[in-house]
Amino acid sequence: MIPESQAAVVARNETWTGSAATEPYEAGWAREAIVFVRALKSAGAAGRAHVELSPDGMNWAPEGTTFPLPDDGNRVTYARVAQFGCWLRIRAELPPGSSVTVVVTIHVKA
Amino acid sequence: MTALSADDLRRAMQHADPRLSRFDPLSRIICFDDFDRGFCGWTQLVGNYEHTLDAMLPGYAQHSQSMLSTLPAWDFGSHGSADGSYALKVAAKAYKGAQNVTIKRLTFRKRGPIRIEFYFTFKPEANELRLSETDVRSIGFLYDLQTGDKDADAWRVMPHLRFLNALDGRHLQKWQFKRKTTPFKNLGTENKTVTHYHLSPEDWEDIPGGEQKLCYNEIPTKVNWHYGCFDFDLATMQATGFRCNDRVFDMSTYEPIRITGMRNLWCMLNFGFFVESDTAKRSFLYLDSVCVSGDF
Repeated sequence: MIPESQAAVVARNETWTGSAATEPYEAGWAREAIVFVRALKSAGAAGRAHVELSPDGMNWAPEGTTFPLPDDGNRVTYARVAQFGCWLRIRAELPPGSSVTVVVTIHVKA
Repeated sequence: MTALSADDLRRAMQHADPRLSRFDPLSRIICFDDFDRGFCGWTQLVGNYEHTLDAMLPGYAQHSQSMLSTLPAWDFGSHGSADGSYALKVAAKAYKGAQNVTIKRLTFRKRGPIRIEFYFTFKPEANELRLSETDVRSIGFLYDLQTGDKDADAWRVMPHLRFLNALDGRHLQKWQFKRKTTPFKNLGTENKTVTHYHLSPEDWEDIPGGEQKLCYNEIPTKVNWHYGCFDFDLATMQATGFRCNDRVFDMSTYEPIRITGMRNLWCMLNFGFFVESDTAKRSFLYLDSVCVSGDF
């Protein structure tokens, strides 16, 4: 069997301001992930995304990886993650007055 | 020793196979999806759009990708599926009326009887230390079908069936169907793309005698797996039977949504499963396995 792989769009055309987070994504079968954030449009200064882990999909802790949110239409930023247990999400923090409309895609592989 | 018919032999082989013995498929298996093998072609139902994603109806914009889940619970760990570790998980967001749908898209070879069998369970997110049995509004399934391009009739037919678990806090536990969708809306400027919201909350009707108390268990993290089996005839485009666990339901009043055939969906054979939240709490539908079969 070829190892399982999945591209999951977890946020599509969502506009983020202030603090935001993707829905919990469960992938305990996966050994590695890349989280891509693509901007459809943005305004103001770029924010940052923080990878978060969870024991249960409800309580979250920072994994330690952070990366900039894209600050221009069709720009893409990403982070690589491994050993994330069952649950994965990203939390976004944007400065006051900024916004970004995103497509967030998680690529996971067994 | 008497000679076995081909049908008897087929059934004997299926009954001897632990993977298939718990299903009653028709003569040809169209797909057998055990989610211990992966996603098996089940994906997100994305809404239609043209030129901009802003054109997508809100009912579809909320949808997200299904997941492979071990049903991990905060209080005891992974629950596992009916016969392995993984189930397909469909998660509706945490607001009243939220929905999500997973879909598989095929086409059919013959307009005859088809059967979909599935092992399923459902729960809300266990973020309260209480039973939470009225937090999931419903779980259900649908076909999205269309006649062949040379057929005498030209229909798009969408059988819908849901288990209305709860509504506005009332634990109703009954099976329902719907025969109406919303009016079609043109998208964009090219006269090629339209949309409608067949999972709108209106127009659900009760199946006669369709009340059923499914095993729910005693805390918000324990689940039990249920069996469902829906029979449909592509020739007449009518439902011919529905069973859930020990119950057989009267489908004499059942009608699918029936709309004029569309120019690019001939022989479409799509199946979908959905889940709805009734409170500001995520709702989860889990599918252990799905077997779709037909007589052809």
